[in-house]
Amino acid sequence: MDRKLSSVIFALVGTLIFFLLIVWLGGMINPDLQLDETALLRFVFVILGMLIVFVVYWLTRTSQVWVVGTREVVYMAIGAALYAVFSYLFNGTVFVVPSVSQVALRPAIAIPMFFGYAFGPVVGFFTGAVGNMFGDALTGFGLSPQWSVGNGLIGMISGMVFLFKDKKKSMDTVLIISAVLAVLATAIFFVNRAVPNMLYFAPDEGIFGDQQISILAGLSAVVGFILVLAVRFLFSKNVDMAAAVTWGMLGNFIGLGFAAISDIWINGFPFGVAIVGEFLPSAGPNLIFAAILVPILVAAYAAVRRQSGR
Amino acid sequence: MLVAWRYRERRSIIQWFDPRAWMMFFISFILCLLMFWDVRYLAVFLLTALGVTFNSGITWRESRRAWLFIGGFVFFFAFLTFLTGRGGIEVYSKEHEITRLAASFTLFGWRPVVTVTWERIFFGLSQMARVFSLASMTIMIPYSLNPALYGIIFRGLGLPDKIAYAMDLTMRFIPTFGRDFQLTLDAQRARGYEVESLRGGLFQQVRRLAPLIVPVTIHAIIGSEDIIDAMDLRAFGVQPRTWLDQLHYRLRDRLLIAFAVLMFITCLLLSLFGYGKFWIPAGWIL
Repeated sequence: MDRKLSSVIFALVGTLIFFLLIVWLGGMINPDLQLDETALLRFVFVILGMLIVFVVYWLTRTSQVWVVGTREVVYMAIGAALYAVFSYLFNGTVFVVPSVSQVALRPAIAIPMFFGYAFGPVVGFFTGAVGNMFGDALTGFGLSPQWSVGNGLIGMISGMVFLFKDKKKSMDTVLIISAVLAVLATAIFFVNRAVPNMLYFAPDEGIFGDQQISILAGLSAVVGFILVLAVRFLFSKNVDMAAAVTWGMLGNFIGLGFAAISDIWINGFPFGVAIVGEFLPSAGPNLIFAAILVPILVAAYAAVRRQSGR
Repeated sequence: MLVAWRYRERRSIIQWFDPRAWMMFFISFILCLLMFWDVRYLAVFLLTALGVTFNSGITWRESRRAWLFIGGFVFFFAFLTFLTGRGGIEVYSKEHEITRLAASFTLFGWRPVVTVTWERIFFGLSQMARVFSLASMTIMIPYSLNPALYGIIFRGLGLPDKIAYAMDLTMRFIPTFGRDFQLTLDAQRARGYEVESLRGGLFQQVRRLAPLIVPVTIHAIIGSEDIIDAMDLRAFGVQPRTWLDQLHYRLRDRLLIAFAVLMFITCLLLSLFGYGKFWIPAGWIL
């Protein structure tokens, strides 16, 4: 194994063991310790997320998609800055993007999906993770680094299409996995109908993330999947467009799933609340952006490339 | 054209230290802040943040917009927390009611009621202290750190050259893209685009955001070609990078780093021993 890579992995594993030891020792020192009240677990999940990224990299390290040159460095910075700026502008404090039946719109999410697909998984991961971190800092939101890693995974997975020789075949596999995930999440929604939509705020209506999740928000993963499926077959001749959308969908499911599931330990949420209250209202609506904005960005970028010859 | 943050040299506590040492202190400060919900502990962090702010040399005129935005945001969310108790259920299980305020009117048969409890008041205060401390310490960074040193700072914090340079560029691009967004918005408005009244169904609304997001993104990508060419011409990434400016730790920087590490360890131990949990004065609960 490459020396640099092995030192990064050893450092991550070492830090993870250090944090887990603290968690274990903390329980021995103080039997009443409630870890969800400390910040420790957030960093445990950050390291876990980073380890996932490094394992994926290690398994596919011979691929050229992991090479970072000048172009990638600049695109990483552009993607992260755009994601931060759009997150800040569209988070509801500067521009109010109205929500429909509890489906809150977050247009900025198209950026890590597009950058991941267009410029590869490293650019995608950096765009999502660093952009989310800077976006939170600009807005003054608290620090949720595990959500930054989740956003990074969205970008990284969107760019993993280049690990496959046949884009069309890869899309079929992605669609099957995504269908299973969408159906599972929706089934959990039907079992937990009373769970509130924790991401829906409407102060003028007296709703502060405490209203029972609506049918549309609960079904948003399936609705989004159908939309992506439609794009996949409507643009079956334009492989780039279809692949960007389908891989963006999988990135959303896995990235936001990782972040929402981490909240089971970090915030002490029951499994149903994490999936229905957090995952569905965030991942489902994002698929609408995957299906509408990402293809427009892919088409516009293709036109620019044709024009510039790069 | 790149737009820069409003950095300048000032008589500032932040600029008195090496920027790498300050970043380590800043990271330690945030990590420690996240470990506590006790408003007494958080008051220490708030006072520290205020002390740094008043000694940052940043004038009200320079930072007015940022402060008004952050202040409004912090008060709005703290007020929401007070009204609803949202988020509090993660740190307390029982509420002690002080009073219940009912509106004198009804909305379609529903009468708005606000339940005031000790827990909600103290949780709102804790949240305000937390977010304000975090935001005020963060706000001062772009005003106080020299943009020419961003890359060196991140490299000095142990990031690889390429990642450090990407972080450097990210921080430089943010104000530029903010400006580009405003220009695009103005241009679209001149053509009759109304962002304030996005009407239509869900899909229509999403589609109508494209005239804002797509031009800014594509313009950024086209503009990047010049930067890529300039970096390639200077053989970026061919060998380990050297930096024009050099940073050297002085005694005070080492002391600040030692203090940051000590603060983190102390807060961690306090947190593990169960100190700093959500607190309300016991005598106040009847």
